[in-house]
Parts: sequence; structure tokens; C-alpha cells
Amino acid sequence: MAKARSRAAARKVKDKWKAKNWYNILAPSGFDSVTVADTLADNPDNLIGRVTAVSLQDLTGDFRKSHIKLFFKVHKVEENNAMTQFTGHTLTSDYLRRMIRRKRSKIDGVYDATTRDGATIRVKPFATTDKRVQNSQRKVVREAMKKTISDQAKNSTLSEFVKNTIDGRIGSEIYKNCKKLYPVKRVEIYKTEVINQPSIMIEDKKPEKPEKPETQEEPKKKEKKPATKKKEEKTDEEVKEPEIKEEIAEEEIPAEKPEKKEKKPAKPKAKKPATKKTPAKKTVAKKSTTKATAKKKTTTKKKTTTKKKEE
Amino acid sequence: MGRIGIAHIYASFNNIIITVTDLTGAETIARCSGGMVTKSAKDEGSPYTAMKVAQTVADAIREKGIDRVNVQIRGQGGNKAHTPGRGAQAAIRALVRSGLKIGKIEDVTPIPHDGCRKKGGRRGRRI
Repeated sequence: MAKARSRAAARKVKDKWKAKNWYNILAPSGFDSVTVADTLADNPDNLIGRVTAVSLQDLTGDFRKSHIKLFFKVHKVEENNAMTQFTGHTLTSDYLRRMIRRKRSKIDGVYDATTRDGATIRVKPFATTDKRVQNSQRKVVREAMKKTISDQAKNSTLSEFVKNTIDGRIGSEIYKNCKKLYPVKRVEIYKTEVINQPSIMIEDKKPEKPEKPETQEEPKKKEKKPATKKKEEKTDEEVKEPEIKEEIAEEEIPAEKPEKKEKKPAKPKAKKPATKKTPAKKTVAKKSTTKATAKKKTTTKKKTTTKKKEE
Repeated sequence: MGRIGIAHIYASFNNIIITVTDLTGAETIARCSGGMVTKSAKDEGSPYTAMKVAQTVADAIREKGIDRVNVQIRGQGGNKAHTPGRGAQAAIRALVRSGLKIGKIEDVTPIPHDGCRKKGGRRGRRI
């Protein structure tokens, strides 16, 4: 009885799988509507409300920005394409932890800002310092953060604001304003959440207008910038390190195949013929080599994890 | 041309569960756990079991046309162990071995900002 039921269930599952179609998930128009993911569903209505996380590296190809994750939520489906809205971004947790050290202060705040096109966005910036900071100083820095964020939001639409945060322009703006009050080290926005999507859709056409005054301001910015630029370079360097490691780990797979064949595979091999149900089509030699490489990868991974712990 | 999925690997000390979903995480494509490949309960969390679990999952998803996978690995988390269990590494290794391409590997262990009191009481666990 039970067997029959399970068989029926299995048949059902297969049918379900066949009934499902793949849909492309497109990024919002602010991100050039690129295909960022695909998902499957038997009914296109089910797609609405699904959220996908995309790293900025995938969108721009810039591997320095792999620590930024963007969240896109499906709100409309047209044929095989699912349209999305930007719903927020975060930095990866390992990147955040790398920046926060002992005997330093982290000043963070949570602010709601309204953009020019009527969207409400919750912005969470944080600043790190070289020394421990008194509460009164924290207060001042927070105040400056709040002001710059609300000012920036007022003068830009949601998509502009988001782009500025992702590029780090708002971070450097805050840095500039805080520098006079207290010598903060790094300022970044580690999270945004869109609370209300833009209410005025007409303003999407206007982005050229606010850009003009920005261009006028730019020369001024450049004069003041050297300090901030240095800081940005620093961040770039620090971001690079882990990326390179990962690449190496991946490269090792094809490159370092020989060695260490005997030690590891011996144990699982002995067990395999008895317990393995899945068809083992690959040759034994291939297995062992891949195993050795895989082992290497894990060792590299270990290193990274230990590093994390240290920090 | 294969599609990308997310391999959610939950490696606790006593078990391992691998679920492969699409990139939104809404649709499950394949799923396997320690108890499905081993008979004794004590082995469910072992690295060897993790390897077998990963292999079965890999075969299942390749059949369905997925050959790239982003890995999200997690331990128990909460007010329990924050490090993934013994099977975590073995599982990733087995996924690589079975010919899947691995995109990103991320640790998504839930970590409390400040949570509940840990089990065991003031004087700890007494045996």
C-alpha cells in the first residue's frame, strides 16, 4: 500500500516538473534590464513576490564589488520575462566583519529618507574609527550622517540614490562631512531597504535635470576630494584580497591535479562498491585526481575560515 | 548551456540536509538528507554521508539541467554552534567532484543580534 502510494507520488512529482516553465528574471530598468536569474513555475502568477539576490559583480563584471548584494522582487510578468523592482541591498557579512575590529568604534544609524519621486527608503550607514569614541562624538557623527542622507535623497530619484549608494558616493559624501567633526576611518552604507516604491512615476523621465547641478558641483568636489580618494583606494585594496584568494582556489582545481592520490581516496573507495547506488561512470583515476584537487580547495577554504575567526 | 541553482547545505553536528533550489529560492529542484542514504542514526552527520548526499543531489539536478551552483552553507546557528558541522566540507568537495561548477560559497548561519538564553542553565550541562 505504502509502496504504491510512494510510486504514485513519484509519478506526480515528475509530472509537476514537466509542467513547469522557466522564466527569465530581468533587473529593473535602472540596471539596464539585464537577465539576472531564471526561475521556474507552473503558473506565472506564482512568480510575483519572489526575491532574488544578485551580487553587483554579476551585474557589472567588476569583481571588487562582489560583496554587495542587491535584492530584486518580481512584480510583473510578461510572457517569459519577469520584471523586478529594487527592494534593497546588503553587504555580505564576512565583508562587514572584516572591517570591525577590537578597540575601534563602529558608529551606525538607521534613517528613513524620502526621495524626490516619493519613495521611502531606509538607509543604514556606519562609520569606523581608529580609537574608541565618546558618546557625544558619536552623536555628532550620527547627526551629520542623517543630514547628508536626507539631503542626498531629496535631490535624487530612487534609482539615482541607489546608484550613488552602491558606487559609494554617498559614503564618501558622509565621510567628507564627518571628517571635520571627527576623523572617521571608513564610511559605508551596509544596508538599504525600500519601504515604499516611488509614488510619482512621471519623474522617471527627469533624471537629466538633477544631473546638471551635480555636474556643476563636481569641480568643487574634486578640489576637496584627495582625502576621500585615498580612502576609496584603500577600500579597493582591502576588498581585492579575498577575491584573489577565491580565484586561486578555483584555479587550483585544474592546475594541481597530481599528488596525494593514495592517502585520501583509500577509505571511501573501500566502502563505495558496497553502498553506492548511484551509477559511477567516471574512471577511478579521474575520481582520485578530482578528489586530490578538491581536498586542496578545502584546505584553502579552511585558511579563509580561520582568518575569519581571528578577526 | 546549463542553469544556475542554489545549493543550501545545512550541516549540523548530527545530520546534513542539502536542498537545491532555483535562484529565487522559491522552487525546490532536488533534496536529500543524511537519513536518506545511511541507515544508522549516528552516521547521519558524518563526512562520508555528506559526500553521498551531495552526490545524489548532484545527479538529480544534472538530470534537470542545472550544472552551476552557488553554495550557501549553514550550521545550526541561533544560540547553538555557529560553525557548520563535520559534513560541510565533504559535501562541497563532493559537489565539485561530481562535475558541478561552483559559483560563490557563502556562510549563512543565522547569528543572533542577541537572542535567547542558551540551554543548560546557570551551572551548565551535568552528566
